[in-house]
Amino acid sequence: MDEIKHNDRPALRDPRWARLAIFVLGIGFLVLFVVLPLTTVVVEALRKGVGVYLKSLGDPDTQSAIRMTLSVAAIAVPLNCIFGVAAAWAFGKFEFRGKSILLSLIDLPFSVSPVIAGMVFLLVFGLQGWFGGWLREHHIKIVFALPGLVLATIFVTLPFVARELIPLMQEQGADEEEAARMLGAGGFRIFWSITLPNIKWALLYGVLLCNARAMGEFGAVSVVSGHIRGLTNTLPLQVDILYNEYNMVAAFATASLLAGLALVTLAAKSFLEWRFADQLALTRR
Amino acid sequence: MTIEIKNVFKTFGTYEALKGVSLKIEDGELMALLGPSGSGKTTLLRIIAGLDNPDSGTVLVHGQDLTKQAVRDRQVGFVFQHYSLFKHMTVSENVAFGLRVRPRNKRPSDEEIKRRVNELLGLVQLDRMAARYPQQLSGGQRQRVALARALAIEPKVLLLDEPFGALDARVRKELRSWVRKLHKEINVTSVFVTHDQEEALELADRVAIMNVGLIEQVASPTEAYDRPATAFVSEFLGFANRIDCKVNNGTAHIGGFDVPVDFGTYSGDAVAFVRPHQIELGRPNGHDIAQAKIDSIIALGPSARVDLTFGDGHLEVLIDREELSGLGLAVGDPCAITIRRAHVYKPN
Repeated sequence: MDEIKHNDRPALRDPRWARLAIFVLGIGFLVLFVVLPLTTVVVEALRKGVGVYLKSLGDPDTQSAIRMTLSVAAIAVPLNCIFGVAAAWAFGKFEFRGKSILLSLIDLPFSVSPVIAGMVFLLVFGLQGWFGGWLREHHIKIVFALPGLVLATIFVTLPFVARELIPLMQEQGADEEEAARMLGAGGFRIFWSITLPNIKWALLYGVLLCNARAMGEFGAVSVVSGHIRGLTNTLPLQVDILYNEYNMVAAFATASLLAGLALVTLAAKSFLEWRFADQLALTRR
Repeated sequence: MTIEIKNVFKTFGTYEALKGVSLKIEDGELMALLGPSGSGKTTLLRIIAGLDNPDSGTVLVHGQDLTKQAVRDRQVGFVFQHYSLFKHMTVSENVAFGLRVRPRNKRPSDEEIKRRVNELLGLVQLDRMAARYPQQLSGGQRQRVALARALAIEPKVLLLDEPFGALDARVRKELRSWVRKLHKEINVTSVFVTHDQEEALELADRVAIMNVGLIEQVASPTEAYDRPATAFVSEFLGFANRIDCKVNNGTAHIGGFDVPVDFGTYSGDAVAFVRPHQIELGRPNGHDIAQAKIDSIIALGPSARVDLTFGDGHLEVLIDREELSGLGLAVGDPCAITIRRAHVYKPN
């Protein structure tokens, strides 16, 4: 039996020029806006050779920025993960008053400019802020220190996990949870053996996106960090500083690290999808 | 285990789902909750299960008040309408779940769990599907997995919500007789919800017929069919011709036929329900009590359905096809009718 190929269906065949135009447009866009900038980063970073590249990455300030970025992500992402699952659980499995208002509040960090988020934290926790005096008396540093960076990052990345999970959990409903409850399972057991396995893929995507954004965040972090070199600078801030000092190679070398992190994230996602393809197909309705 | 439901009320917002329901289910009985959608039957089942709480009233299982007991301690097996199998677990993992989640001191050993799961899968004839995922099973197979999973916890009570609702007619029939056999074998007190009267009449020891949040009648299938307690039951259980009639002095006058009724001193309008097979046809002989005209004759296997115009209404009659051809009646002919039996109710 001959397989019916796309080309054998005259009704679906577009004129040659149209096919070509769409192809060029699609690929052209991708090259212009994704491939070209990425290549530029790498090329510029390696302009003066691998040795200079490695040396600029070995700079103590850059090293500190790497540690800072990793620390911020390591704290902010798990916290938002917990919050996202809890929020999705509440929205997906229960009905309560004010649900829709809360639901739109979760999206607020998407619609508010990150700079404003940074300013808010400055206003609340800064020296001149509402709690500034009290915090100074108790020798607690929030703004211009790691806690401030973490707070700002949490705010900005708040919706990622929750947004990924809420529609899924709403669609799944509480049927399987009810079945588990009738079989004698307790609350934690139900969450661990029934709810979590059903949302793990969406959760993974949410966490990956959240992580990418947490590492790349600039605006909000810029306001609360105070740009103290070797102390409160994260990778994006470090790139900005180096660039403003016309230290192009170091700026692009640092930028290549950030881009590399993004690529690793993507690769991890693709790998997991490939590795568990059969499982994915099975659990999807 | 007996189940005793006492005066249960339940409202959702302004909607009254149950308006004072009482029902006693005997030990080992297979009881059907039958009613149209919106009659409150699923709500009642979920309350017996403990998935919903009644606004007032109690549910006693073997004398113990279930409403005060945590769901996990109740040992109630529940088969959901859409099975609610755990998608990410294999068939045998699904069945084993109820045993695995038991507290350590009550949990059987791994070998024991394996043995029990195999035994249950044998019971539902799915031994060879143990390693499959629910997605890889047909509807009927999923239903049996759901049943095995519910039975694994050795329930005191088994509850089934529209257990055959999502299956096609042939599989449904097969599963039905299979479930009846299974119930005889394990003899656990069971309640199932259905809107399909045939299913209820075929399976259940007794049927509770529900309508708008109230139980209209609790009886054996034969009893409910032969002596429907209310007009609703008459109409809902099998088809019945509805004929308006008049009652006076303890007698209902239905198109020339008199049926004694026990309405006290009531006289006035009433409705009579006559089943299609309780009307006899004959050739008109000039002094018949009532006459009708044949509109159509439809052969249904061994019997025939005859539609009649009677007065200003319609009647449906079920008659043996041989008998009909013996009478020599055809479409368009006038015929004599005799109403052998009727159930008469005061208008609401």
